[in-house]
Amino acid sequence: MRAILLFCFLIIGCSRSSAQELRIEASYEYLYSVQLDKAIQTYNFSRPFLAEKQPLLVNGIGTSISYVFKNANHFKHGISLTYTYFRSSAENDFFNNTLNLHFAKIGYILHYGNTEKWKGFYSDLTFSATSSIILRNVNGEPFVYDETSSKALGIGGQLQLKFGHYFHLKNTSYLSPFISFGYTPYLYCPNDEAVINQTKGVVGDNWTSTATGQVGVAFHIRKPTND
Amino acid sequence: MNRRDFFKQTTLFSIGGLLIPSAFIESCRKEALFDEINYGGKVIIIGAGAAGLYAAYILKSKGINFQILEASSKYGGRLGKLTGFANFPIDLGAQWLHGQNNIVADLTRKSRTQITLDDSTEKYWFNNQLVTSLPKDILSLFNREDNLPDTSFKDFALQEGFGNEYKYIVEGIAGDSGAAASQISAYWKVKEEENWNSGDDDFKFQESYFDLIDKEIASSVNDKILLNTIVSKIDYSESQIIITDANANTYTADKVIVTVPISILKSGDIQFVPALPVDKTVAFSKIGMGAGMKVFLKFSNTFFDQNIIGGTICAAYADDSIGKAQSDNVLLAFVMGEQAEYLTALGSDAAITTALLQELDLMYNGQASATFIASHVQNWTSNPFVKGAYSYSTVGMGDARRIATQSISKKLYFAGEAMNINGHHQTVHGAVETGYREVINILNDLNK
Repeated sequence: MRAILLFCFLIIGCSRSSAQELRIEASYEYLYSVQLDKAIQTYNFSRPFLAEKQPLLVNGIGTSISYVFKNANHFKHGISLTYTYFRSSAENDFFNNTLNLHFAKIGYILHYGNTEKWKGFYSDLTFSATSSIILRNVNGEPFVYDETSSKALGIGGQLQLKFGHYFHLKNTSYLSPFISFGYTPYLYCPNDEAVINQTKGVVGDNWTSTATGQVGVAFHIRKPTND
Repeated sequence: MNRRDFFKQTTLFSIGGLLIPSAFIESCRKEALFDEINYGGKVIIIGAGAAGLYAAYILKSKGINFQILEASSKYGGRLGKLTGFANFPIDLGAQWLHGQNNIVADLTRKSRTQITLDDSTEKYWFNNQLVTSLPKDILSLFNREDNLPDTSFKDFALQEGFGNEYKYIVEGIAGDSGAAASQISAYWKVKEEENWNSGDDDFKFQESYFDLIDKEIASSVNDKILLNTIVSKIDYSESQIIITDANANTYTADKVIVTVPISILKSGDIQFVPALPVDKTVAFSKIGMGAGMKVFLKFSNTFFDQNIIGGTICAAYADDSIGKAQSDNVLLAFVMGEQAEYLTALGSDAAITTALLQELDLMYNGQASATFIASHVQNWTSNPFVKGAYSYSTVGMGDARRIATQSISKKLYFAGEAMNINGHHQTVHGAVETGYREVINILNDLNK
């Protein structure tokens, strides 16, 4: 919560000072994580009594808000706040098991684009601090044991490369479809296995890496500038 | 290029740029742990306890040929049920589901098995009287996570200023972990359980723990169990493993999962050819397995408290009717360690019952003998195929459990509660985890 408030203050501050572009994005995200896959695969392997298998955490949706600061040259920098959500649900008789995976990221953006040669194109390199949480629902209710919700927290860092193209809508607003690839080399998440497979140390380590691919669209509001 | 073309190309580029790598990753990505299981070999499982039954259940679900050899005349291992003694089924062995975040708890949900939180209260037999609390907090002493020495519970309690008056309270705490207070390590108990993630609440089955495993697991594999088959030798010197039983019958297999209690492996009741590596046998010897028995005492009324900790004959009594649909007055004497050895040495069930009644008479002014109806003694130590209660962490244990668990020559695999290295040893769900773990290990070895 404090991070969100801090971010809002940053946005307002930037807007009143030197910020150039506000961006709001919506995207589809594809997730690949060996460790999470293995935990779910082991869960499925070990529970033949569940006919409906737990799907891997693969498809997610995301949204992001970011600000790019004003700069005279083609390199700019900015900040972003991103949220993505993945879900895996298996419905069996009397036992519906759902895993909800949430990612929240605060990132620093290096923006390059809109050059004479590549008019309208842009690319972003984003370094993000990533936090994740996996929550388990059983039969539609949060799974609680020992009076505590079953949850696994994670923390790590992500590198993301994004390519997009601006299309002018009207006045200072633009739309850009984009594609991006993200890689989180180290996501420390010691309890993921405890939530997914209800074990610790059977499936693997306390950390994982993730790779993501995104397609989405961004809505931009720019202050008038020379570029 | 006009804007429309550009937009079209950009969109195609974006979608293609994501989908092509995604499709590539997806083609490498497996929904299941193993792409295909086409194993034509045979797996023999030694022991039809929770681990053995679950390993068989998994093998069956994967279409792998298997057989279970069980030494005793029944399956279930240290799970058992007694009917007719009371108006509810008695759990002769494991009876508590430890926590809700584990595979067996998932099985109870799927099967709609009735379980009840055991939130019973305790009284302590302290300085020859029953009290609701102790002068000093000894219970948290052994749950500390730092600065624990690798000494026994007994010595650690003395070091921390808990004198002789706490002796049987400490025995009760140690007994809960299946050991005598002089044997279990304060350090290794906590160290080994640091990965415990199952939950701290205990649950009781309205029917019995045995019923759950019997109905949901054993029923699908019991046609593959050979009872009364006492394995005496496992020869894994050739490509085919030859197993010999006490009647000189032989069985061949490509892989063997050994799920017998650690006490059987320690005692050398099964001869391995070639002999197991020394580090393996040393590891077996370092894993503790204490004496244990459960005595069920039936009375005409409930004069006793829900739990009584600290008795000199039995350090832990529990009202056995808690969590059951019916409520005959049955008190469980949960006797572990040296107290179990002492009672076993008395030589008869009648003598054991008398000793316990005398202690209860002392606690409850003679009400035990006055209302006593019947008893049933389940002595797991005198069972030749179990020889104890369950495994515990000994002083100087180190990583013995990890070494004990390692497979040998991709032929011999080890499962059972004592072989659980993720903190769930001593439990049924821990045994179940090792059952499926070893099937995974077999399949992994085949894929290497």
